[in-house]
Amino acid sequence: MVKGIEESGIPVVHICTVVPISLTVGANRIVPAIAIPHPLGDPNLSKAEEYKVRKRIVDKALHALTVEVTEQTVFEN
Amino acid sequence: MRLELGHILINDVQFGDVSKVENGVLYVNKEEMKALLLQDDHIADIQIELAKPGESTRITPVKDVIEPRVKVSGDGGIFPGVKNKVKTVGSGRTHVLKGAAVVTAGKIVGFQEGIIDMSGIGAEYTPFSKLNNVVVVIEPQEGLTQYEYEAAARNAGLTAGIYLGELARNLTPDEIEVYETKPIFEQANEYPELPKVGYVYMLQTQGLLHDTYVYGVDAKKIVPTILYPTEIMDGAILSGNCVSACDKNTTYHHLNNPIIKNLYAQHGKEINFMGVIITNENVFLADKERSSDWTAKLTEYLGLDGAIVSQEGFGNPDTDLIMNCKKIEGKGVKTVIVTDEYAGQDGSSQSLADADKAADAVITGGNANEVITLPPMDRIIGMLDYTDTIAGGFNGSLKADGTIVAEIQIITGATNELGFNKLTARTY
Repeated sequence: MVKGIEESGIPVVHICTVVPISLTVGANRIVPAIAIPHPLGDPNLSKAEEYKVRKRIVDKALHALTVEVTEQTVFEN
Repeated sequence: MRLELGHILINDVQFGDVSKVENGVLYVNKEEMKALLLQDDHIADIQIELAKPGESTRITPVKDVIEPRVKVSGDGGIFPGVKNKVKTVGSGRTHVLKGAAVVTAGKIVGFQEGIIDMSGIGAEYTPFSKLNNVVVVIEPQEGLTQYEYEAAARNAGLTAGIYLGELARNLTPDEIEVYETKPIFEQANEYPELPKVGYVYMLQTQGLLHDTYVYGVDAKKIVPTILYPTEIMDGAILSGNCVSACDKNTTYHHLNNPIIKNLYAQHGKEINFMGVIITNENVFLADKERSSDWTAKLTEYLGLDGAIVSQEGFGNPDTDLIMNCKKIEGKGVKTVIVTDEYAGQDGSSQSLADADKAADAVITGGNANEVITLPPMDRIIGMLDYTDTIAGGFNGSLKADGTIVAEIQIITGATNELGFNKLTARTY
């Protein structure tokens, strides 16, 4: 899906836990997620702390959308 | 560490007034066994049924299969850290009721448990159709959480396995197999001219119904470590794991791991079998990185020339498999990986979720998406209520006459990644 959408000219950020698979399948902008059963959250945290985690990932992904990339890039920080 | 496995060959199972083994027949006192299992107050009711090869019988939803064993000498007891005190096992003598098994079944815990057919085409796809099975059907107390029910069902299977295994304690085995692995330097020196080969045993550890236990420790909490192969034959590794039943290792698979047996068969001939490295398949990327770093480190530390790496399950564990392969090869240790495939019903999709050039020696247990038609059976042990929703099933899988049309991933052990079954694919 990532590649299909990009083919139509729209940049895509792939938020995913298993970064190596994302690299293997050819995503260009990759933002690491938390864990496979809960990619965008962490049930071990309080609601307030979890919200911060979620916001941080979404902010990072939105930022990644704006960055020009020349090769597959993992946005770690 | 040296273990003798004494096989008592079982060719029939029957109910009887006294539980015993006589002339290759396993007799089960149903009421006594039932009373033992009902001591667990998480369980409301138990049915005990027998299922023999060739019968028109379907068992579902299957959770685990356990081979009855008993330790008759050497340290510890079977299933250490869970059913016996946590004591290192793998030496001395263990007796096995070979040809018999306990199968646990009952209302599903999650949504993906297996099917064993005792005859027909489905029976060809599961090794457990060839065994004399004592099936324990569990009815949990109302109000249990999934976790409590899963633990109670798992425990019931092990309790039943120990109960039957105990019958073998004072019997004279029909055959005895001997397995021995020595401490590392001694082992290396025993066959200095042969390549040193180890086994990297990946254990499924992704959560409820995806867990594995090592001496009672939930394996998602371990870091990779080294075991003598014989420890595994005494139940050091137990299954809590039956989701997508085709490629999950039941406790029976662990006890009888064919990769370990075949490495022993070549030990001292073509290879020097150095031991087993166990590792996990966790859901956090950092865990995957750490564990694969450590398996690679341990292969180097053991001075291996080659390693067999077996996967359990599919999907994201494909990445654990490839990470292990790549990092171990990076240490200059040759690998062969053992996996299965999800290549679509027509077999034309990519087989694994991850890949790397280092994975140039691959053995497959077959394509789990292959569709099969299982004919109706006269007798159902367990229930068919869930057939449409278990993995490999789909809406309409269960027909009115009891026929099931589904992917072979629905069948317990069909594409096992230890080479326990007959399916594979070859390129020429």
